[in-house]
Amino acid sequence: MAEISTIARPYAVALFKLAKEEKKLSSWSDFLALLNGLVKDKELNAFLGDTKVLDIDREKTLLKCIGDIDEKGKNLIKLLIENKRLMVIPYIFDIYEELKASEEGSIEAQIIVAEKPDSKVVDSLIKGLEKKFDKKIDSKLVVDKSIIGGTRIVVGDTVIDASVRGQLDNLAYSLKS
Amino acid sequence: MQLSTSEISELIQSRIKNFSASSEAKTQGTVVSVTDGIVRIHGLSNVMSGEMIEFPGNTYGLALNLERDSVGAVVLGDYEHITEGDICKCTGKILEVPVGLELIGRVVDALGNPIDGKGPIKSKETDKIEKVAPGVIDRQSVSEPVQTGLKAVDSMVPIGRGQRELIIGDRQTGKTAVAVDAIINQKGQNMKCIYVAIGQKASTIMNVVRKLEENGAMEYTTVVSASASDSAALQFLAPYSGCTMGEYFRDRGEDALIIYDDLTKQAVAYRQISLLLRRPPGREAYPGDVFYIHSRLLERAARVNADYVEKFTGGKIKGKTGSLTALPVIETAAGDVSAFVPTNVISITDGQIFLETDLFNAGIRPAMNAGISVSRVGGAAQTKVIKKLGGGVRLALAQYRELAAFAQFASDLDEATRKQLDQGVMFTELMKQAQYSPLSVPQMAVSLYAANNNYLDDVPTDKVLAFEKDLHGFMASKYKKLVDDIEKTKDLSDENAKELAKAIEDFKTSSSY
Repeated sequence: MAEISTIARPYAVALFKLAKEEKKLSSWSDFLALLNGLVKDKELNAFLGDTKVLDIDREKTLLKCIGDIDEKGKNLIKLLIENKRLMVIPYIFDIYEELKASEEGSIEAQIIVAEKPDSKVVDSLIKGLEKKFDKKIDSKLVVDKSIIGGTRIVVGDTVIDASVRGQLDNLAYSLKS
Repeated sequence: MQLSTSEISELIQSRIKNFSASSEAKTQGTVVSVTDGIVRIHGLSNVMSGEMIEFPGNTYGLALNLERDSVGAVVLGDYEHITEGDICKCTGKILEVPVGLELIGRVVDALGNPIDGKGPIKSKETDKIEKVAPGVIDRQSVSEPVQTGLKAVDSMVPIGRGQRELIIGDRQTGKTAVAVDAIINQKGQNMKCIYVAIGQKASTIMNVVRKLEENGAMEYTTVVSASASDSAALQFLAPYSGCTMGEYFRDRGEDALIIYDDLTKQAVAYRQISLLLRRPPGREAYPGDVFYIHSRLLERAARVNADYVEKFTGGKIKGKTGSLTALPVIETAAGDVSAFVPTNVISITDGQIFLETDLFNAGIRPAMNAGISVSRVGGAAQTKVIKKLGGGVRLALAQYRELAAFAQFASDLDEATRKQLDQGVMFTELMKQAQYSPLSVPQMAVSLYAANNNYLDDVPTDKVLAFEKDLHGFMASKYKKLVDDIEKTKDLSDENAKELAKAIEDFKTSSSY
């Protein structure tokens, strides 16, 4: 995984720079999301990954699936096929989205709770997070009964664990050591 | 150790009481791959180089490679239970080991955990294993001796407190024997000892510990063991752990002696880690920084001045200098001292004791080659009496070696040459010494005085050691005052020299050996 994201980064950075120049950040994002969805499709993935398929057929099929796109989009697909990098598209998409989010000053946060909370509570939590990270928080609420109570917030690599499960794990660890 | 039920519940009670249920933000990552103790982690964007990483199952790792999309870490201990997809966390801490007097007499692993079955170590303090060596201002030059109790070493390659003296030689040349003898001789010398065993058989380490116990040396010694069956990471870390334990004494105005047995195996362990981390290999497949792992370790062995000690202890200890003397061991292959690791360590240390297979097999033990063994700073620290009497030994042996080569072809030798040859043979014989029988300063002085003043010329070569032994016994019983005086002053005054001459003559006329 680590190595693949290293391969994907230059593509994502190049696309991001291009999109920024053209001021088309969201339209490129949509295009990459579409490509990502296509590559993840089971049948199409099998076809694209088949070694017997010619590059020209791959290109034709992909362009047909996407439909109407501009010259730059076509060029990207051609380039990826030529470099045999179609399979890194999901990583390119992820990195592009990260770059886009940091450009827009927002950050994705996953808020895991045991039960669906009051919207007021969520709002105040988001406000607190926005203050802590000094960025706009793009929150995603996940209900997971296994954490028992409290909340667990994942922002990128950083995890704020205030869940009952986390505390119990910590207690178990401190008793064992 | 047996625990009663009340003790267990009390323990649990106190732990629950003291448990703080705070939530803090931690950086976490996902394990991508596990290969021979090396873990690649995705995430951990804020990790520091050398930081401890917490894995599931009470296991820790050390972050060594910080790359753009991944972190390469080495697992300390077992890694079989770590699998791809496991979550790991940053701890924000550098690896620490317990330090202090509680470690004396104990056998611990590279992380400071006891492995001698004598119960937990109730150490009050811990300290970082990687520290920067004291700077120039904090140091003082070497001026006090470390007596190894070996005639050959103390007379020809004296070691001072705070010095780094390399013990180098092929396998089976008695490298460990020299080191262990040095530890045994520190009894009552106000010296704490640390023996770091790296990559050795567990049975060999056990034998060393047993010998130290038999000779009462465990009363002031700590053994740090990273045996051949321990992971490469622990073998790599063991010297740094031992050094930290030794620095505890150095920084508090005491003297400590540390033996790294041996650094070749540490370099090999580091090579393994580096290659698995995919760092580019260089000469002999060692990574580029193999010099640095040894230089930063040995640089921590130093003599620090009283100001440093006072500052370090916050004014509690005044007017005392501290020292950490290091005796690193390097094993060569077929006497090749120009291999990568031996040349590195020779250049770092303040001298070396060369041990040779040929000498060892010829029965000259310790098998020290006097010609190429040197001590660059120890001369300033040598005991006065040994300095006075030992000067002739090196010269006599050097002349003997030169003449011995010629003498093989010559049929007729003149009187002077023959005399030099005889004296060389006698000195070679006198420098032999049995294992685990270190000599005190007066004993060494008596032997050297007798040899220098031709009292041994009429003693048959095969009787030299027996003569020496009986002479020591005779001196201890009949001339105790003289022996005590030399011990006290560490010098030989003119009067004492006269009395010593008289004593030896007395011995020669009265005793049979």
